[in-house]
Amino acid sequence: MLHVIPHQLPWWVAGPGVGACVVLMYGLVNAKLGVSGGWLQLLRRASGEPMTEPWRAWFNGGLVVGAVLAAVLGAGAALHGYGRLSDLLGPPLLAPVALLAGVAMGYGARWAGGCTSGHGLSGCAARSRESLAATATFFSVAVGVTLLLHVATGGTL
Amino acid sequence: MSRAGTAVCLVIGVAFGFFLTGSGLGDYHTIHDGLLLQDPYIYLMLASSVGVATLGVLALERRGRTVLEGPLALPRHPVRRGTILGSTVFGVGFAVGATCPGITVAMIATGNVYGAVVLVGIFAGLWLRGRHETGSR
Repeated sequence: MLHVIPHQLPWWVAGPGVGACVVLMYGLVNAKLGVSGGWLQLLRRASGEPMTEPWRAWFNGGLVVGAVLAAVLGAGAALHGYGRLSDLLGPPLLAPVALLAGVAMGYGARWAGGCTSGHGLSGCAARSRESLAATATFFSVAVGVTLLLHVATGGTL
Repeated sequence: MSRAGTAVCLVIGVAFGFFLTGSGLGDYHTIHDGLLLQDPYIYLMLASSVGVATLGVLALERRGRTVLEGPLALPRHPVRRGTILGSTVFGVGFAVGATCPGITVAMIATGNVYGAVVLVGIFAGLWLRGRHETGSR
């Protein structure tokens, strides 16, 4: 919107910036940065249970603020669809597919004990065997499924 | 965690959300083209972030103490069956949605309203797994 930052920060700015967040979380508060865990805390709250790690929910609250900040300072929020997924599926199919993709991520992240941030960033940086295995698995599966869908849809996806 | 620690988490969360969204990962094509092996951005970003974080963790290990919360305790776990099965299920959602639990916020912030649908799905998935875990106990 304000175009203070470019449409896409160079990877050598965004990557180390995200990496610094992981290090600061470990070094300042002894905590493993991970987004799914924050959503899980909010889910506990919504189910009437006490939050076991409220700081995770606060971290995710910050994440929302930072995302809005980047959108305002950068390209802004023009309402748009779901990329090539919108081209392939009409709105009646798109919503359930998006929902199921989310269900798979939430279910899988809780089962695996982390997602792209908790395992992929924080766990890999701590050289945790579990996180290295998880990251190798979900990236291989995601590349495989993406290539498969690309072929199956005749290149639309 | 102390109040000060929680405030630190909030501030780091802002920075994290800023970099995730500023990187354009909230745009379907950034991750999708990466998973199609047509755009190296996500891999360069992942490698540079894990690289910086690994060096930082090594430095923290030498120091051994955290600023606010005592001796450094790193999360290191062995590989479980669920690690692989869960990550496989996660990978399918990651591929179809071309997003992940943090990036959905970047999607919504930059105007992809379907990001909200994905996020509702993530909550439902977290809940469902919790049900299955209590059920199998």
